[in-house]
Order: sequence, then C-alpha cells, then structure tokens
Amino acid sequence: MIKSFILPIKELIKGLYTVFKNGFKKRVTLEYPEKKKLLNNNFRGKINYIKENCIKCGICQNVCPLISCIKIDTDFSIDLSQCIFCGNCVENCPKNALYFTKEYELAVNNKEKLILKEDN
Amino acid sequence: MSIFYLIYIEFMIRINAPHWLIFALWHLISFIFIAILLVITVIILVLFERKYLAFYTRRKGPNRVGTYGCLQTIADAIKLLFKENIEPKNIDKMIYYTAPLLVFSPIMTVWFLIPFTSGIIPFDSSCSLLLFMAILSIPILATLFAGFSSGNKYSLIGGLRACTQAISSEIPLFLCLISISILSGSMNLDSIVKMQNDSIFQWYIFPNILGFIIFFISALIVMNRTPFDLPEAESELTAGYHSEYSGMKFAMFFLGEYALTFILSAFIATLFLGGYNSPMGFYISDLLNLPIIFQEFLKNIEQFIWLMLKTGILILIIMWIRASYPRLTTEKTLIFSWYILTPLAIFNIFIMAIYKLLRSIL
Repeated sequence: MIKSFILPIKELIKGLYTVFKNGFKKRVTLEYPEKKKLLNNNFRGKINYIKENCIKCGICQNVCPLISCIKIDTDFSIDLSQCIFCGNCVENCPKNALYFTKEYELAVNNKEKLILKEDN
Repeated sequence: MSIFYLIYIEFMIRINAPHWLIFALWHLISFIFIAILLVITVIILVLFERKYLAFYTRRKGPNRVGTYGCLQTIADAIKLLFKENIEPKNIDKMIYYTAPLLVFSPIMTVWFLIPFTSGIIPFDSSCSLLLFMAILSIPILATLFAGFSSGNKYSLIGGLRACTQAISSEIPLFLCLISISILSGSMNLDSIVKMQNDSIFQWYIFPNILGFIIFFISALIVMNRTPFDLPEAESELTAGYHSEYSGMKFAMFFLGEYALTFILSAFIATLFLGGYNSPMGFYISDLLNLPIIFQEFLKNIEQFIWLMLKTGILILIIMWIRASYPRLTTEKTLIFSWYILTPLAIFNIFIMAIYKLLRSIL
C-alpha cells in the first residue's frame, strides 16, 4: 500500500533530476546565418560545370530523369529549378566536367537566375 | 496603518486637499503601483520562461532582439498591438469581446489583496481569503465564455475542459485555505503573514506540509500549467478556448495566464512560506543605524525582495515541472482531484484542527 504511493513519487523526482541534468549539457542550437552545419563530402549541392573538359557527348542529357532540365544544343545549360539533385549526370560524365559543390543557399528573386549556362 | 499612509495623510492635510480626494488618490496610487508591477512581472516572466525552458531542453532560447534577447517580449507585444482585428464568422459578438476582459480584470483584482510589504497592502480587508476565493472563480467563467462564443468545436471543448477542471481543482484549493485560516484564526492576509514572523519554524508549511502540497498541485490545475494544461492541449485542440482570438485579445489571455501564475505563487508564498517575512527572523535593514523614515523605507524594500524571492523560487519549480512532465488525460486529472486531492484536503483540515487544539492546551 505504502509502496504504491512512494514509487510514483520516486519516479517523478527522478524525472525532474533527469531534466535538470540536461541543463548543463552542450547546447544543440546552431545560430544559422553566422554558424553553418558541417557538410559531408558527398553532399549534393549546386552543380558546377567545367567548360574545358566537356566534349558535348550528350550522356548527361540522356541519363537525366527530367525532360527539360539539361539542354545541350550549341551550349550546355542546367535548370536548377527543375533539378532533383539525383547525381546521375555527375556520375555518368566520362570527362568529369560536372561536379557537386556544397553550396545550398540557392534562393533567388528571378527564376531565370537558376538556369546555369556555360559562362557562369 | 503603515508609515507611508501616515506620511501621505500628513502631506495631503498640509496642502489642504479635500477628504474625498485624499482617499480616492490613495486608491489610484495603489492601482498604478499594481498595474506597473503586473506589466513588469509579466514581461519578465514570459522572457524568463522561454529562456529557462531553453536551458532544460539544450537550446539557446530567444537571443536576437537586444542583448541575449532581453527585448524579445517587448517586440512581441508591439507586434500583437499592431495586429489587425480578425473576427470569425460564427461568433456570439458580445460574449466574444467580453471574455478577454473578464479573464484579465479579476486576476488583476486579486493582485490588490496581497500584502507586498508591511507598508504596501493595496486593499487590506478583514476577509481577503474569502475575496480571493470569490474573485478567482470569475476567470473560469470567462474561459467558458470564450470557448462558447467562438463558434469553433475545438474552442468549445477547450472551454468545457477548462471549466470542469477548474471546478474540480478549486475545491481542494479552497479547503486548504480553510486549514490556513484555522491555524491563524483569521481571514486577513496581513495578520496571517504577521503570525509567521518570528523564525522559519513559524511558517505554516511546517505544520501544514500536506496542505502546501495539495495547494501547490491544485494551483497548477487552476493555472492550466503543464501536467494539467488540457484546455490548451495543442496536439488535440490547437489552442483550446483562445484559438479564435488574435492580436490584443489574445494578449489579454496570455497576460492573464502569466499574471495568474505569478499571483498564485505569491499567494502560496504568503500563506505557507511567511510572506514578506525574512527567513532569518530579523531584517538586515534593522541592523543599520539610520533615521526612522529611511530605515522603514529600506525595510519595506527588503520585505518586498523577500516576497519576490520566495515567489520566484516557486515559479522556478513550476517551470521546471513544465519542462519535465507530459500532459495527463482529462479523466485522470478529474479523478486525481476528486478522489485524491479533495479527501486529503478534508483530512488535512481535521489534522490542523487537532493540531491547533493541542497547541492551545499544551
């Protein structure tokens, strides 16, 4: 009878103590614009293009799951507003002309700025 | 009569003020004192709670507005002030607009009953405890009004929950007040405080520890604080009875909630922890050799600080509980207060009566 009264009180105090211990541990908050999360090496950010390596074989256009994301006619362009960052084009490029960067803040005011062309 | 009141009367008679003005102005002064104190405490409490919960959950809390986020509450208040007045479609207009006022004004009235120092008692009545019981049941009506008039099922359920919960918890709360008035033989809060002035062992928590625990738990239920915050259970009811309110009307509910938290903690400190009395049995300001008016002034400040310290510790515990425990279900809260707290409170009155009798005999 007494035990059934004491046990919950004991557990309640234990709960309070557990929460109290949390107060002295390291904070988990990252203040975003000043401090940024460390990214691992295979992070898929914005895609970059090296013009000198490209032989315009068209493999990237073929392996891309989207229809109008990558376009190669006379010059190369990727529409980042459609890109799903699957990485097929980067993996299949025979001359390593495409690679991922760790840049992920891609918000812009104008949608046309998301279309990456040769010169930028 | 306190020394401040005497100085005030003396001053007013010297400048030949009429009698009605003297009394009216005194009440106006106490009103201004309470209003300023309330706004300052609520602003501090809201910020402090956010910081304190962040401490327990390994976050940093608000730290953008001002140094360490000290102006965050003021920024929030400005935002709420300039918000548009949104009126839902199916509301009962008159009740909808009365509810925020009705929730806030009784809580502010309760603040007048507290003896903040031996000199500052805004409303000194011979039946303050009775007044406390009577006034404290009005905000509950207001929550029911708010839930009923919003024209929203979640609000209605929240309001009904708040009402049932508050009724079931007010009975043990008030039974504990009876045990206090048995011990002190008075219903005046100032004389209750004065009975506990000799030392820390004179505090009513020592004979009445059971009453203290019951009062604390039922105060948590009345405040709608976390283990019992079913009326505002955001996972089921969005925000409960105030989900249709926005802007200044919401701010009234918010202000009322924190003002109630503070005032109930101050009441617990007054009734059980010796109120404004120093726990050492003497005041530090009494040791200084100063002219009597300065000494009285310093003593009042010291008493105020003691009361705020005791209240602050209670608020710390309340917020600590909020950080630790999950929410109970409705029927468990009701069963807890009807089947455990109420019989224990009645039993406590019985024990206190026997204790008082034995003390008078021995």
